Amino acid sequence: MKPDVRARILDLAATYPTPKAALLTALETVQQAEGGHLSTDSLSEVAALLGVPLGTVYATASYYTMLNLKPVGKYHLQLDTNIPAMLAGAEDLLAHMEQALGIGVGETTSDGLFTLSAVEDLGACGTCPVLQVNDRYYENMTPACFDELLANLKQGVVPEWKTEGNWGTECNMLLARRGKPNSTALAGYVADGGYQALEKALTLSPAEVTQMVKDSGLRGRGGAGFPAGVKWGFLPKDSTKPVYLVCNADEGEPGTFKDRQIMEFDPHLVIEGMAISGYAIGAKLGYIYIRGEFAWIADILERAIAEAREAGKLGNNMLGRGVEFDIRVTRGAGAYVCGEETALIESLEGKRGNPRLRPPYPAVSGLFGCPTIVNNVETLSSVPFIVREGAEAFRQIGTANNAGPKIFGVSGHVKNPGAYEFPLGVPLAKVLEAAGGVVGNLKAVIVGGLSTPILTAEECRDLTLDYDTCAKYGTGLGSGGIMVMNDTVQIPAIALRTIQFYAHESCGQCTPCRQGSVAIEQMLHRVVEGKGTPEDLDNVLHLCKTIKGNTLCPTGDAFSMPIEAMVGKFRGEFEALLPKAGADLAV
Amino acid sequence: MSDCLILDGEAVTFQPGQTVLEVARQNGIKIPALCYHRKTGPAGRCRVCVVEVEGQAGLPTSCNLMAKDGMVVHTCTERVLEVRRSVVNLMLANGEHNCISCEQNGRCELQDAAYQLGIEIPAFTITGPKAEIDDSSEMVVLDRRKCIQCGRCIAACNNVVVNEVLGMGQRGFESKIVCDLDRPMADSTCVQCGECVQICPVGALIEKKAVGKGRSWEMDTVDTTCPYCGVGCQMTLHVDTDANRIVRVTGREVEPNDGMLCVKGRFGYEFPSSPNRLTQPLIRKNGELEPVSWEEALDFTAERIAKIVKEHGPDVFSAFGSGRITNENNYAIAKFTRAVIKTNNVDHCART
Ligand SMILES: Cc1cc2nc3c(=O)[nH]c(=O)nc-3n(C[C@H](O)[C@H](O)[C@H](O)COP(=O)(O)O)c2cc1C
Ligand code: SF4
Ligand code: SF4
Ligand code: SF4
Ligand code: SF4
Ligand code: FES
Ligand code: FES
Repeated sequence: MKPDVRARILDLAATYPTPKAALLTALETVQQAEGGHLSTDSLSEVAALLGVPLGTVYATASYYTMLNLKPVGKYHLQLDTNIPAMLAGAEDLLAHMEQALGIGVGETTSDGLFTLSAVEDLGACGTCPVLQVNDRYYENMTPACFDELLANLKQGVVPEWKTEGNWGTECNMLLARRGKPNSTALAGYVADGGYQALEKALTLSPAEVTQMVKDSGLRGRGGAGFPAGVKWGFLPKDSTKPVYLVCNADEGEPGTFKDRQIMEFDPHLVIEGMAISGYAIGAKLGYIYIRGEFAWIADILERAIAEAREAGKLGNNMLGRGVEFDIRVTRGAGAYVCGEETALIESLEGKRGNPRLRPPYPAVSGLFGCPTIVNNVETLSSVPFIVREGAEAFRQIGTANNAGPKIFGVSGHVKNPGAYEFPLGVPLAKVLEAAGGVVGNLKAVIVGGLSTPILTAEECRDLTLDYDTCAKYGTGLGSGGIMVMNDTVQIPAIALRTIQFYAHESCGQCTPCRQGSVAIEQMLHRVVEGKGTPEDLDNVLHLCKTIKGNTLCPTGDAFSMPIEAMVGKFRGEFEALLPKAGADLAV
Repeated sequence: MSDCLILDGEAVTFQPGQTVLEVARQNGIKIPALCYHRKTGPAGRCRVCVVEVEGQAGLPTSCNLMAKDGMVVHTCTERVLEVRRSVVNLMLANGEHNCISCEQNGRCELQDAAYQLGIEIPAFTITGPKAEIDDSSEMVVLDRRKCIQCGRCIAACNNVVVNEVLGMGQRGFESKIVCDLDRPMADSTCVQCGECVQICPVGALIEKKAVGKGRSWEMDTVDTTCPYCGVGCQMTLHVDTDANRIVRVTGREVEPNDGMLCVKGRFGYEFPSSPNRLTQPLIRKNGELEPVSWEEALDFTAERIAKIVKEHGPDVFSAFGSGRITNENNYAIAKFTRAVIKTNNVDHCART
């Protein structure tokens, strides 16, 4: 390891309460410095530098998909093959790529230039197919685009191709500044009235700000819809430990690409939201945990934070009012489960992203054993409006008990997949219309990200999109990732792809998720291949029933509920794939 | 004053801070709990210890469920059993659990759970890449085919004995126990203390030397004190009485060692039946060691010591006590050296 890399790791280690917490970031740093993979020697050196046992270093390094323990080609081509990508033709593109490169998935070309991987959701469902080359995204890929890209890469040129995704807003809040030139700069944000809410918040007491957020009815946008102000109220009143605020920017649930719209185009909105929230809960430090694949967005955030700090909007004397709050950005390294708040905290501490056993809950004992509030990007970005315009103004948007705007990410079979901001309670039909309407005949919709149960076209005809109505319909609003499927789609194939995702992402801690996801995957695989039995379907349903509610973290629910719905509602399609009784199985 | 809860219809008392699993065990109710161990704490990983609590949706895991006054707990309703069966089924579905020839047979917590739940063969199988067996080390076999990923060994190696060797590599279904950076155990920093072997609920970590030497129920057990050093670890010898042979040693979970042993205590047990062991005094006569009576041996020793001390003074004499004898014997050695020989040249192996 080069001396400057060692020095950087030691500097980094000094910024944490314990050097061990620098492990994940240190591994990312070393990998980048050493040409894309982590050798045994580097792992040993990092272990010695940070005082982490070798077994623990390996446990962490082997957990994250972006950390490579084996050498990879100069260009690591990673094609997203999850469901929204599938609906956008990623399977054909993958076949084309294999042919063009002359290698299969998981292989490297003999000249060492290209490694091809099929990966899970990259958070670009509205601009799928998406190809990640090292740390750059190429969205809306087609075979022709790929050929052009490949020609460039072979010349050693890594082109800068920006794709503008579709978007629209009825609320002008979260996406208000999306279309503005240079929307990430502080000056523009301030000119549009930015940081006024922070000014106002600092004239109020923290309790008053918390009360405002409570009164606004703001519900968490990470998936569960838990009231943000109520969560903040769970912080112990008598603790002498530091309090941390964590912004969850892991955005890995297939179908979800909303948080990046805010972070990439209006980073100061997130920062202001965090500063206000940090003040309200008494935190001096906030972390943004962003999925590692969003490297360029992490850069945007870091630049914006530096600019805000420079202008006194952050730091140990915010706006000259003697209040301390600062923000650090930590990058994940490829693990969907790290979006779960306790896994996220483990990852922030430099470890494997294994969810923690609860209780205690993070509000009582979270990051480094201290009281911690984890909120989603979109949740925190809603806070400036609430403080500036008042709780009542926020409640005016949306419906009773479901206040405020929400970004819906629409992917799949619509004319203009993209991110659309509407008040909660908007009819699904209206969102689909904004997205240009359904292409073909609507068959089914998943409205809240892949973990929410599927609805048939019939079921969702009159659906309005808010937490309570979705629950009434037997599904969930989740992250608001809407995946639209027309009648060319085979639900068994969707179910198989769903469970493949969860089996790939399971952290493996608990039996029902680790074993159950793979058992279901193998059963559904047989069914889709035409080799299944009726018992396979019964076993799948029985596993879903017994896994639901019996896992260490909600990931078990996140696959058992949607799989149960797919098999339950479209059983005929699954049964049609079973070999006919008496047919010759040997053929 | 202790609190009270209703356990399977019976009112039972408990101390605040106890978990439902602890309360159940205390009252003779068997709840299979494959990842929990008192020494490593609740992990919530196996999910077989579920119970039903009135007024609570879902089935909480009893290993980390705090007992509360007035709680009404059911440990074996059909709902509970269905979930437990499903979980144990999943554990058996991909492993290679051939109890017939498994070293853990008869003392396996997974086998007990399957038995209790009436699972004969798993309802389905999960196919996967063959899990590797690591039999590189001298004393321990890690048979990953039988591992149920409970995590006890990792917690024990890192937090109980603090040798910090084991980790969980990879993730999901591919997770596997690794030593250091995924090295064979023999090439790792493992000190072969065997704590992981003792705490493993199944036959995934076993004592290499005990393989094929007899089944657990054929052994007689003898509780004793480790003879090696002055710590005085408590241990149980598992003895094949017919063959007059110690087959395995386990640490007793009492003071001072709470089940832990070192490599010598746990694995250095051949000496009692070693043919090299001295069974009577020997004196070298004409260059050859010859068996003699105790009287002759003692007389000879006393005479030689007296003569040497008289000729060269007491400081040519030195005594070295041993951790493998009792305190009383060591005391006698010190007294003898100081009071009889009149030198301070006395030392002990455990002092260094
Ligand atoms: C498997 C899993 C993945 C999750 N991923 C995310 C995520 O990517 N982003 C997010 O904000 N919340 C995610 N969550 C929810 C978080 O655990 C947590 O509830 C949320 O960040 C809280 O923020 P909120 O109250 O503002 O919604 C996930 C939960 C689970 C179980
Ligand atoms: S349900 Fe269990 S195995 Fe699955 S991600 Fe959560 S903790 Fe890990
Ligand atoms: S580990 Fe237990 S269940 Fe598995 S084969 Fe051995 S005795 Fe049987
Ligand atoms: S024998 Fe001891 S040191 Fe070796 S892996 Fe097991 S617990 Fe760790
Ligand atoms: S080897 Fe044994 S103790 Fe370790 S995880 Fe596997 S089953 Fe548990
Ligand atoms: S013993 Fe409770 S979950 Fe394993
Ligand atoms: S002192 Fe206990 S094993 Fe040696």
